[in-house]
Amino acid sequence: MAETMADTTKSAHISSMRQFKAILKKDIVMELRTKEMLTSMGLYAVLVLVVYQIALSQAGSSFDVLRIAAGLLWLAIIFTSLLGLNRSLVHEKDQGCLDALLLAPVDRPVIFFAKAIGNLLFLSIVVVIILPLFYFFFLAGKPLGGPLWMLPLPLIVGCIGIAGVGTLLATMSVNTNGKDLILPVLFIPVMFPLLYASVAATTAVLIGDPGYATVYWNSIALGAGYDAIMLLAAYGLYEFIIGA
Amino acid sequence: MTDTTVSQRRFLGIPGNTWTLILLGLGAVLTTIDFVLAFFYTPLVVGAQVAETRIINGIAVSNQLLFSQKIFYFHVPVAIGSFLIFFFTAYYGVRFLMTKQKKYDTRARIATEVTLLFVILTLITGDIWTRFEWGVWWVWEPRLTTYFIMTLLVVAYFVLRSSIEDEERRATYAAVFGIIAFLDAPISFAITRLIPSSVHPVVLRSGGGLTGMQLLAFLLGLFGMLMLAWVVYQVRLREELARERIEGLKAALEG
Amino acid sequence: MTDTHTTELALEVRDLSRTFGARKALDGVTFDLPKGAFLSIFGPNGAGKTTMLKVLSTLTNPSKGTARVMGLDVVADSVKLREQIGFISHNPLLYPDLTAEENLEFFADLYCIPDAPARIEELLTAVELEHRRLDDVRTFSRGMTQRLSIARALLARPDVIFLDEPYSGLDPHAMDILDSLISQVRDQHTFVMISHDLAKGLELCSHALILAKGKVVLFEEKEAIDPEAFSTTYRETVGMGVS
Repeated sequence: MAETMADTTKSAHISSMRQFKAILKKDIVMELRTKEMLTSMGLYAVLVLVVYQIALSQAGSSFDVLRIAAGLLWLAIIFTSLLGLNRSLVHEKDQGCLDALLLAPVDRPVIFFAKAIGNLLFLSIVVVIILPLFYFFFLAGKPLGGPLWMLPLPLIVGCIGIAGVGTLLATMSVNTNGKDLILPVLFIPVMFPLLYASVAATTAVLIGDPGYATVYWNSIALGAGYDAIMLLAAYGLYEFIIGA
Repeated sequence: MTDTTVSQRRFLGIPGNTWTLILLGLGAVLTTIDFVLAFFYTPLVVGAQVAETRIINGIAVSNQLLFSQKIFYFHVPVAIGSFLIFFFTAYYGVRFLMTKQKKYDTRARIATEVTLLFVILTLITGDIWTRFEWGVWWVWEPRLTTYFIMTLLVVAYFVLRSSIEDEERRATYAAVFGIIAFLDAPISFAITRLIPSSVHPVVLRSGGGLTGMQLLAFLLGLFGMLMLAWVVYQVRLREELARERIEGLKAALEG
Repeated sequence: MTDTHTTELALEVRDLSRTFGARKALDGVTFDLPKGAFLSIFGPNGAGKTTMLKVLSTLTNPSKGTARVMGLDVVADSVKLREQIGFISHNPLLYPDLTAEENLEFFADLYCIPDAPARIEELLTAVELEHRRLDDVRTFSRGMTQRLSIARALLARPDVIFLDEPYSGLDPHAMDILDSLISQVRDQHTFVMISHDLAKGLELCSHALILAKGKVVLFEEKEAIDPEAFSTTYRETVGMGVS
């Protein structure tokens, strides 16, 4: 059977960029309209901070919060992002919209990037809200150990990893019987190394112990390494799970 | 489509079934010899050296000559074994994603079961070792932490599987997660090892220069464990295939 | 059987099977469907109808055998094929929090339609929803949602339209509108429909296919069908229940 060697991948007028922008725009517009994700994530973050206050209330006046501040911050980010990741995929599952996406001539990795970057965007907004609140509640008056410009970098590296791997895992968990409950079970062990590195880097900046710069750059490099490996894996594996 | 296992084929003229028995015997013998050797014949080694002197549990620890170090001959083989088997989880996961054949999913699942067994043994032996060496029941040092995370990853694998009813989706998701988990384990180790932490002492062990008797004991332990791992895997696999065949017959009778 | 992409056949299915482990959803299905035809697929639950539609619309891959839609292979040419497929299901496949217009704009972008605004306008008018274009789909009735769903399916001017029980849950008025829309575009597309409604399915179709337990029980052109024999076969097959 003779096959014409036509371009069988896709027609010339199909533009991945247009599709990517469409999916991203749709997610943003839907979120702005319903404000479900942002309000619940924001509220959740504030509530976590309140619980922290309760946990620290008996710690005594000589207790140096700065030592665990980075850990508390990242904890808040992790739990808030678990909430957000789930919601971002529930929309598609409703109304069978995911099928509509899959029936379209869209490369699966485009869907992955659009969803992951959408999640990253929302996560960033929440971090931008949490950070000053956290400082206000727990660190007011304490000087920063390292230069201020060093602070955003671990947050960026960490959030990228959370968004990328989180999108993959959330796409799976939303399709299980356990739904929301499964995500933390999958997410936390897989995120462990990134979390560890991010907390180390953030602590280094916050406290500024001697030699903090080495620890800082070490941790950032390792976190970035994690991001590179895991995001590549997530990108490669996403098309298998999205059709299943 | 029936699935055949190694047991139904022949190696060097001896049927696979017999090999399993041979390896079982050999593995058990080796491990026993290893046990005897480890506890009665190998010389005591300089125990763990901490990067700097620490106060753990009220005692200053730098290095100690430890009888308890003997558990090294079990702990390390089991640890290595668990990681090797975990590799097969990822390997069969990849094969499944490439071919979508159920048999690879079955094998991946069984490999993960064996990994679970071994990784729990690793944690237990590691914990006993820690208890005798440091006097505490748990230290968040890189190895133990990594194995703990690995346990969580393997448990997560099974939780994921049990929450999906559709067979093909279950197999696909498990394969993907298995691959991610397998990639995560060494990264966990590297990161906890390379980032210094006051709470997580980086413990350096004199694993490098094993001499004569020690090396023998170690290798026996390693090969014995690997053989036992293989046997457990094969037995489980045969059990699974028998079950599948029964279910296939049941369905054929009903249909 | 032709061997170029300019084929006369809308569907060429050869020994199509889809199994996993011991479970067979499709087993050796073979048939051809000419362009412009309307195929109605009948069968009991679990017969493999939805699976077949999924394979033909590239949502799933077959385990064995081949299927070509408009000359394109469902596996090898899946991305290109998707450009030419429309899908209407009992799920509306629309986003409730977006307006009708936004929904269509989104899908227009997904399919990279060159003349999007004009095409959207044209379709909104055709389904009589221009006056509701700025309303959230959440506020639509079932019938209206289904109409918009048809607009969505027709956006990219697909060659083949798949329908998965499109009439289920519709009141008679909405059914009429759906009927009229389908008849308006009847000659420009090939249709493949799953239906539990024997009368409706037979009325609309030019070819009929009955599936049971993943196998083809009957495949005939409408003119060749003897209504009595057909209903008997249908009742027997559907009565067989789940595989």
